[in-house]
Parts: sequence; C-alpha cells; structure tokens
Amino acid sequence: MSAVVDDQREPGGFESFWNEHRGWVITFVLLAVSLVIWKIHGTQTIFPQSWIEAFPFAQKTDEFDQWIRPYIQPTTRAIAAGAVWLYEGLVDFLILTQWQIVFVILVLPAFAYGGLRLGLLAIVGAASFLVLDYWDESMETLSLMSISILISVVIGVLLGVMASQSDRFEAVIKPILDTMQTLPAFVYLIPAFYLFGIGPPGAILATVIYALPPVVRLTNLGIRQVPAGIDEAATSFGATRLQSLLKVKIPLAMPSIKLGVNQTVMMALALVVLATFIGSPGLGDIVYSGLVRLNVGKALEGGLAIVFMAIVLDRVTYAMGHVEQVRGGQHDHMFRLFPQGLEHVKPILYLEYGIDWIWRQIGAVGNFITLMVTVTACKLATLYDSVVAERLREILLARSFLIASLVLIAILMLLDAYTGVFGKFPRAWEYSFRTPVNQYMDVLVSSKMFYAVTTAIKEGLFYGLINPLNKFLMGLPWWYTSIVFVVGAYLFSGRALAIGTLVGFMFIGATDLWILGMKTLSTVSVSVLICFILGVPLGIMAAYNKTVDTLLKPVLDTMQTLPVFVYLVPVIMLFGAGQVSSVLATVVYALPPLVRCTTLGIRELPGEIDEVSNSFGANMVQTLTKIKIPMAIPAIMVGVNQAIMMALAMEVVTPLIGGQGLGMQVFDGMNRASLGVSLQAGVGIVLLAIILDRMSQAWTRTQREAMGLA
Amino acid sequence: MSFRIRAALASAILALSLGAVTSAQAAGRLTAPDPDWTGGLVTCLVAQYILENEMDYRIKRVTMPSGPGVFEGTRSGDLDFACESWPSYNPAGDKYIKEFGGDGSVAYLGATGIVGKSGYFVPRYVIEGDASRGIPASAPDLKSYKDLNKYGHMFKSLESGDKGSLIGCPVAAWLCEDQKRLDMLGVDFHAQALGSETAHWAEIQAKYKRGEPFVAYAWAPHWIHAALDLVEIELPPYDEAKWPATNWAQDVTHFHGNPKMLDEHSDVVKLLQNMNLTNEMQAGMIYDIDVKKGDSEEVVESWMEANEDIWRKWLP
Repeated sequence: MSAVVDDQREPGGFESFWNEHRGWVITFVLLAVSLVIWKIHGTQTIFPQSWIEAFPFAQKTDEFDQWIRPYIQPTTRAIAAGAVWLYEGLVDFLILTQWQIVFVILVLPAFAYGGLRLGLLAIVGAASFLVLDYWDESMETLSLMSISILISVVIGVLLGVMASQSDRFEAVIKPILDTMQTLPAFVYLIPAFYLFGIGPPGAILATVIYALPPVVRLTNLGIRQVPAGIDEAATSFGATRLQSLLKVKIPLAMPSIKLGVNQTVMMALALVVLATFIGSPGLGDIVYSGLVRLNVGKALEGGLAIVFMAIVLDRVTYAMGHVEQVRGGQHDHMFRLFPQGLEHVKPILYLEYGIDWIWRQIGAVGNFITLMVTVTACKLATLYDSVVAERLREILLARSFLIASLVLIAILMLLDAYTGVFGKFPRAWEYSFRTPVNQYMDVLVSSKMFYAVTTAIKEGLFYGLINPLNKFLMGLPWWYTSIVFVVGAYLFSGRALAIGTLVGFMFIGATDLWILGMKTLSTVSVSVLICFILGVPLGIMAAYNKTVDTLLKPVLDTMQTLPVFVYLVPVIMLFGAGQVSSVLATVVYALPPLVRCTTLGIRELPGEIDEVSNSFGANMVQTLTKIKIPMAIPAIMVGVNQAIMMALAMEVVTPLIGGQGLGMQVFDGMNRASLGVSLQAGVGIVLLAIILDRMSQAWTRTQREAMGLA
Repeated sequence: MSFRIRAALASAILALSLGAVTSAQAAGRLTAPDPDWTGGLVTCLVAQYILENEMDYRIKRVTMPSGPGVFEGTRSGDLDFACESWPSYNPAGDKYIKEFGGDGSVAYLGATGIVGKSGYFVPRYVIEGDASRGIPASAPDLKSYKDLNKYGHMFKSLESGDKGSLIGCPVAAWLCEDQKRLDMLGVDFHAQALGSETAHWAEIQAKYKRGEPFVAYAWAPHWIHAALDLVEIELPPYDEAKWPATNWAQDVTHFHGNPKMLDEHSDVVKLLQNMNLTNEMQAGMIYDIDVKKGDSEEVVESWMEANEDIWRKWLP
C-alpha cells in the first residue's frame, strides 16, 4: 500500500495514468495482496480468546436487564395503558360502525387531496379488504398504524424542531436515530413483552422506534434549510426567536415535514407483520398464520391487503404534502385513468369519459349542497351578527369538499340509525384466491423442468459467488480485515470514521461474532452486487422508455411494501432453504431503491447533454455509456447505499430461511430469552450498517465534488 | 363542525361504555395465546371449549408465536395460561418454572396428556419405493443410523459437499445437538439448521413433492405425519449419561401459567390437571384440520360433542 501511495507523489510518466485509474489500481493491488495473505493464512481466522473473555457483554447485559425491569415496569405499563385506550377506542369505532360509513370516511381524504384518480385507487384498496373478507383485520392494522404514526409524528416533529435549534442536540440524536432504524426489532421484542405487555402497546412501541427517524430528520433538515435572510428579516421586525420559529420557519419547512410524515407512514407499514410477533391482531396475523402452515395463498392474500393499504396511504400522505386541496369537482383537464399512449383505444376513452362525467355531476351536487348549507348557516348567523355571518360565509365556501363530505357521512349515519338499508358485505362478492395460488405453487414445486432451472441458478450462485466469498472473508486474518477497513475509512472520510470503524470491528470480534459478521458481510456484498447487475440496466431502461417505467412502477411498489414474510415460503419451496435463498430474498427486497435512483439519476441530467453529444456524432449507446452513466454515478451510488442498508435490514429476516450471519444470533438470543445475546448481534449489524453507510456516503461525496456537482 | 364534535363525543362514549362492559365481565375472563402449531391449538381449543361451555369463563385468544414470548407474557400476567408446552423446546421454561429448576415466576399447571417424541425420519418411498409415482426404492435396507453412511451420497446437499446432509433441528435454542450426535455416533453427515420451523417443513414438503430422498428431524404428534408418509430411523435408546449420542427423551407436555392462577382460579388449574388428551385423539383432529382442511374450531367442537363421555370426567 505504502509503495502505491508514494507513486502518487513522484511526478513521472505514470502520473496521468495514475490520476485517471487510481481507484482501479488501488482495488486491484488490494485484492492481490489480500489473496496472497489469504493463501498464506490458510485456515479460518480466530479472534483471540482472551479478548473475548475480557468482554462479557451478553452476560452483563442480561444481568442489567433482569435487574432494571421491575423498576421501570410501572412506568412502561402506565404508558401502555394509555396506548391501549387509544387503540381500543379507534378499533371499536372502525369495526362496530357500519362498514359503508367507514368505507366512505376512509376514501374521502384520498379524493380531497389527490383528486379523482387517487380516490379511485383508495376505493379499490378499501374494497380489497372487503372482497378478501379481511375487513376487521384491516381495521385493526389501520388503527395500530394510525396511532403509531400519530405518536411518531408528534414526538418526531418535536425532536426535529429541537435538533434544528441546537447543533449539540443534533450531534447527539443522529447516531441514536441511525441505531433506531437499523437495530433489529427482534432484539427488544422479548423485553417489550415484559415491560409493555402483549398486544398493541408493544407493537406500537416497536413501530414508533422504527418509524420515528425520518420525520425527525426531515423536520430538522426543513427548518435548517430556511434561508438565513428570512430569519434575520423576522428578527429585525422584532420577532423573538420563538416567534420566528413558530410563525416563519416551521411554516416554511412544512413541505419537508410532510415528506417526513409520508416516509414515516411507509416505515410503519413495514412493521405490520412484526406486530403479530408481539401478539397484536391485524393483517400481519393472516400473513403469519399462512406462513407457519405453509399456506402461500393465504399469506399472499394478507400481503396484498397490506400492499394496498401501504400504497393508498403513501399516495394520500404524499399528495397532502404536494397538492393544494382539490375542490369539489373542479378540475380543468380531462381525466386519465390509464397511462399515456392508450388514449386512442376506444373502450378506454369511453370509460374515461364516463368516469369524468359522473365525477363532474358529483362535483356539481357537492357544490350545490355546500351552497345550501352555507346559505342556511349564514341566514342563522345573521340573526346573531352580520359581520360574523359574512366571515362564516367565506370560511364555509372555501371548504366545499369538507362540507359535502360531512353531509354525506351524516346522511349515511342517519340512514343507518333509522332504516335497515345497510347490511353486511354480501358473501357472494367475497373472493379468495388462496386455493388456485396454492395449486399453482404445487405444480411449480413438482415441475421437473422448473426445478432444473432453479437448481442451476442455485448452484451457480453458490459455487460462483457465495461460497468463495464466504471462504475468502472468513479466511482473512481478523487483524488484516480490520486494518483494511480502518485505512479505507480514513481515506474516504477521516479520523472520526476510522476510529469508529476500529471500535466497531473490535466489538464484533470481542463478542465472538467475527465469523458470523464476515458471513453477514459476504451475504450483503453478494446481494448488493446482484442488485447492481439487475437494477442499473432496469433503471436505465425505465429512464429511456416510458412503457417500461409504467410497468415497473407498480412492481417495485409491491416489492417494497409486500411483507418479506410473504415470499419466504415460496423462495424456500422453489430454491430450498439456505444461503442462496436468503440472498435471493434479500435481492427482492433491496432492488427497488437502486432501480429508482438509477432512473432518477439519468433523467435528471440536463437535456442539453444529448444535443451536445449528438452534435459531436455520438450515437445513443455512446452518449449513455461515456457521458450519462458516469454523470449519474452519484445518484446510482445513493441507490447502492440504500440497497446496502436494506440488505443489512434483511439480515434479521433471512435466518428464518437458513441464512447465516449475525441475524441468526439475534434469533437465537430471542429463543433463549437472552437480551444480551440478541443485543450484541443486533449492535454488530448496526455497526456494520453505520460503517458501510458512512463510507459509501463519503465516497459518493468525493465523486460529486470531483464532478463539480456539490 | 358541531356534528363532528358530536360524532367524536358519541364514539368516545361508545368506547367508554364498551370498556365498562368488558371490565364488568373480567371476573371470569382469561387470556390465553393460540399456539401456532395445529397440535397445540387443538389442545388449547379443547381446554377452552370446556372452560367456556361448562365453567362460565370467557377466553380472550391472542395470536403470537410460541416460545419465550409466551413465557414472558405468562410471567408478567398478561397471559393467564398457555397450553401444551414442550419442555425440550423451551429453554425459557427451565428459567422460570420451579419444577424444572427455575425461579417459580411461571407456574406448572399439569400435564396435557400429549406425549411428544422427536427423531430422524425418511420418506417411506426411499425404503419401499412408490410405484404410483414411479419412484424406485433407493435405500431398501435403511433401518437405523448405522445404515446412513452407506447411503450418504444419496443425501448430498449444496452446503454439505460430498457428505450426506441431515435436515436438522431448525432452531439452535431447541438444543437438539444434531451435529454432535452424528459425530458421536460415527455418522459422516452434515447437519443443516434451516433457521425456522416454517423453513424446515417447507423444505421437507418441497423435497417430498419432488420425490427426492432426504433425512430430516421431525417430531410427533405433528401434522407433517398426516400430510406425508414418513418412517423413523432407529437411534440408540435415550440415556441421559450418553446424551446427545442417543435418541430423544419423551416430551411430557404441560400447561403453564401465571402463579396467581393457583390461588384465584383453582378450578381452572384443577381442570388442566385432570385433562388427559391422548396423542391418538389429537392426531384425529389434526388430520381433519390440516389434511381435510377443516376449520379448527368446528373440528374441535364436533369432536367435543361426539366424545362427551371422555371429557366430562375431567371436570373439577
């Protein structure tokens, strides 16, 4: 290494070559040196036993855990009682109220914020709960999610505002947020049983821990990004710091905060299945009970209901942050249900015209009702005070959608109370597809040809990638691997990260988790590599071709929101349990962000690039490979970074299908009811995540700076 | 706007009154987790049927994975009792149940009558072949662990290399010691742990459907025996001194619960102690649920109606 570094300082014929290909040279030399050391070392590396004995982390944690529990239990139980009260109130309301009314209440916000298109999506989503006969379970999940999200947003915005006001607080809270997001929930599930009790409170706690970070981060970011000039202007007009914060900065940061809320919703929904592990009812229960009985169809039904809920909630909260309220039926452009390019197909056109017409009529009726209500209310108010009446008129007319909705709900409630027109959801409309899915699975599993294909993929992956990398990483001496990572951290980022990396690797070694840590590292590397090979071309295709993009979007959304537990069983049945299956399951989970970032990176490049490069006579492929892809590298790296994080998050799920690594220890600790054993493996995962995240971020930053993008 | 307030008020009152109703009934209300495997669920439903129909209790059923979580729940009092715990699969039990050397924070509430037994199994078609599926008998004289080495090449897997592979105990905390047993018995096999029960059964079922040979750890009573035709491989008889180079001991399964059950609901404890559901009775119901795809509650209910003479004797 040192010889290589010296080369850089000596001016010579190598200089230009060196400057251009520095990264490749270093990588190549490092790989060659490592291979030689690996060959010489020969056996699996052993971390010094005396160091391990000197650091009884698991044992001390367990002792502390058992000692402290009785002292904090009364407090945690009181909090839990409050959460249960909220949860049961909401769930009783949603389940005991006539379903038609709840249906309308759920769907209206989608119309209000996202207009007709989102409203129709919400109708499809809510109808799927009814058709699949999971209405009660969906309402339970929805209640759990709503309360978790509410708590996360309240605490998150508060913490975010605090972090934006104090650099020191921000510095303290940042690593805590990272830990909350990457520490596997399975670590604290067992203590949560004891402290918060089974059922909703424990699930709410786990969800809040996981879903809180984005809203804190984005609130902090949003307030900090308010230009200093605005703040100064406010203060010069005599506003106090608090006034400037509340009246100027927070309103200006609202889009960012709303984006944080949107992210929080998605994170919370990712934990639906986990809630079942704490004995909390809902859709996760369907997935879990389907999973343990190997009923793929049932798990898929539950999974799809979760996907619908996630997609609708995602779009609605996103729309809340972006679009002004769409009033009544007012909209200028023609409604489009299907993607562009299909507008010449006659039946689709008629369908769209029909929906558009109905929507306009509903809008007209809504506006009429609002007008009636406003006129009546103002007449009554005039008796009291004419000024108040005038203001009331303005307020009411500006909220035509809300008023029409409330009138609709009131009519429904009155109908429900005084007539018997509403019944149960008709059985004949229910539909279950679990039997055909299970039959299809059977055919696939016993198909000789399909098995030959999966075996070929499996063996190729195992002998070609997983096994060699495993052996390589486990065979490298522990001190050598540590040095390489510490030096890498120093070169990419600086002293702080180098020290952090050293501490992290020593922790993993001293808790006797070195081998498992290396297995985790190799699984994550292989998974991310496959994601890269598949994801970047897909992303480029989507950037160039609108049809690919339109087709890919729902697939990626489903991949990201379908609970991983749903596809664990099919993966085992088709590929057999083991490391290959865990890599494949990880790829499915970690692929979407990489594809999205690649598409975004290529699309956001300035349009002139194409023109300039065409004028120099480059064809499309040349423009892409020589100019566009290199320029999109920072964006692609953001995707790679996210893929690494998601692959590490999967580490705690893949042990369920034979994955080996730190996640296995997390489960083992959970099964032995030992917080210490789970925690040390969980912390190992967190440390690896933080080290890899910071290193790839630092590398991306230097790339951006080199291109003058920063 | 006032309508909204009224609606909110109405729902709040609704919620409060519901809360009042549930707490009024709380005297005879018990919480129990539904075991996540069919056998345990059947045992639990039988006990719950008697408690609800004969003894005026209301049971709140909670779905949660079995294992340490259930022990933590019974310890803290969130769960009143739990059904069919298998001693050898629950190291947490040893920590808390006095009878097993624990601290007494969880009470032992009597045996269920179900006696579990673990072992190594191969599909019948490996030994006898299956003409209807066109599978020849590939290991006709495979009877005991001593014969395994001879057929090692048949049971190879990706991870085991040239050796045979045993689909071992999926969860390390169950303390099966598969690899140690194989080594001590001189069986040159690699024991693979698949990480979860689900993965274990999924792998076995997929291999069975494809007609592949495999050796796998399994236990009875279990629905897998209703779905697949498996034959047990002989192991040396259980001997605590030689463990793990022997077969498993029998698992005398039991009910356990929060210690306050002993004082406050002694009638329930009496019932659980008297209960004696046999493996045969359970196996019949498991078959109806898992193979004939019956609804678990309906299956148990019809069994209870048909076998009143059996369970009447268990009443305290």
